[in-house]
Amino acid sequence: MTEQRVNVFKLHFIVLILVALTEFIGTKKINIGIGVIALFPMLYALILGGFISWPKFKWLKEKEMNAAASILGLSFFLFICKLGANIGPELPKLMSSGVSLLFQEVGHIVGTIALGLPVALWIGLKREAIGATYSLDREPNLAIIVEKFGANSPEARGALGVYICGTLFGAIYMSILASLLGSSGLFHPISLAMGAAVGSGSMMAAATGSLAVIFPEAAKDIAFYSGAANLIMSIIGTYVCIFVSLPLTQRLYKSLEPIIGRKSKHHQNHQEGGQHSA
Amino acid sequence: MNQVLTILLIGVIALLGNWIGYKVPPMESVPGILLLAVITLIGMGFTRILPFKSPVIVWISLFAMIATSPFFPGNAFTAAAIGKINLLALATPILAYAGLSLGKDIHLFKQLSWRIVVVSLVVFTGTFLFATLFAEIIFKIQGKF
Repeated sequence: MTEQRVNVFKLHFIVLILVALTEFIGTKKINIGIGVIALFPMLYALILGGFISWPKFKWLKEKEMNAAASILGLSFFLFICKLGANIGPELPKLMSSGVSLLFQEVGHIVGTIALGLPVALWIGLKREAIGATYSLDREPNLAIIVEKFGANSPEARGALGVYICGTLFGAIYMSILASLLGSSGLFHPISLAMGAAVGSGSMMAAATGSLAVIFPEAAKDIAFYSGAANLIMSIIGTYVCIFVSLPLTQRLYKSLEPIIGRKSKHHQNHQEGGQHSA
Repeated sequence: MNQVLTILLIGVIALLGNWIGYKVPPMESVPGILLLAVITLIGMGFTRILPFKSPVIVWISLFAMIATSPFFPGNAFTAAAIGKINLLALATPILAYAGLSLGKDIHLFKQLSWRIVVVSLVVFTGTFLFATLFAEIIFKIQGKF
């Protein structure tokens, strides 16, 4: 372990207290007119944890925060294991929704790029837009970008930006979005459950949590379908990113940038933009 | 060894959450938590002995799926034990650790322009909304609901 001398038990102890406290408070629903927003223990835990790690308070050292990030990875494994165990008993059900499961994966790609790229170009991002919008930009996606363009490239900067935003407020945003889409009545809870498997553990946990609060009667189905979608995403997601979404984003960037891209001080950047597409 | 201990500690925390938040008596959660920990550790070990690189979570979910599927011995017990553990009780510790790690990203965040925040939110919305939409369309075409 690289983080020797870090007292991980302090971290575990804080988490234990946070979990006990937030589970004790329990779930609350707030009606905000356009929909119901579900507030639940994991969100309080995220916010309180963020508060504790706020640099100004100096309650946690940078090393300890890094250790927390690595434990986060391990805690996600248990969650994944539980999702897998939800699928097992109902494997036949999974087979019957195979087509939908594959198509929602297409939706994940189309959604990030088709919505993200034009907006990114419109507000003035240049090659940063490629890294920022080709995927949801979690760890494996960052690795792909860095490998291809280098850590100091604009593409990597864009990807890192989305990664950090995702870490900071992805979970909260997803739970609000899931609440709003869920209470809009436009979609079936099962479709929403599949959509919630966005490829990030904490965002998915937050989104499915919201959905389970809004559709308590479908809670089992929600866990089942989001687990299945997440499994498919984790098996083929990385390859889809390398062979489909990244090349697609680069191609779209080339054709869209001259149309909606703003002329700015970054202008010279885009002259060489796309050269790296190999 | 360190990772084994960490997994067990997280299991204990989840057990507490499962008790306080979902009223499952701790003794009833023990078998499920242990099974989850064992399958997770098998998945982690398996990924390590594989000659090629592959994501750990693929193997963990695959093993968990097999262990609870109808054709695996003891599946009824395994599925029932793990069924006692509420999914959200496992999610709360994740976000608590996530919260504790946020502080290190704040100074990086301050260097970013507002643009990346807007783009991030659009990307998050896009991936969720379109995947939901596509799933809904296919289900409608198939006449499932």
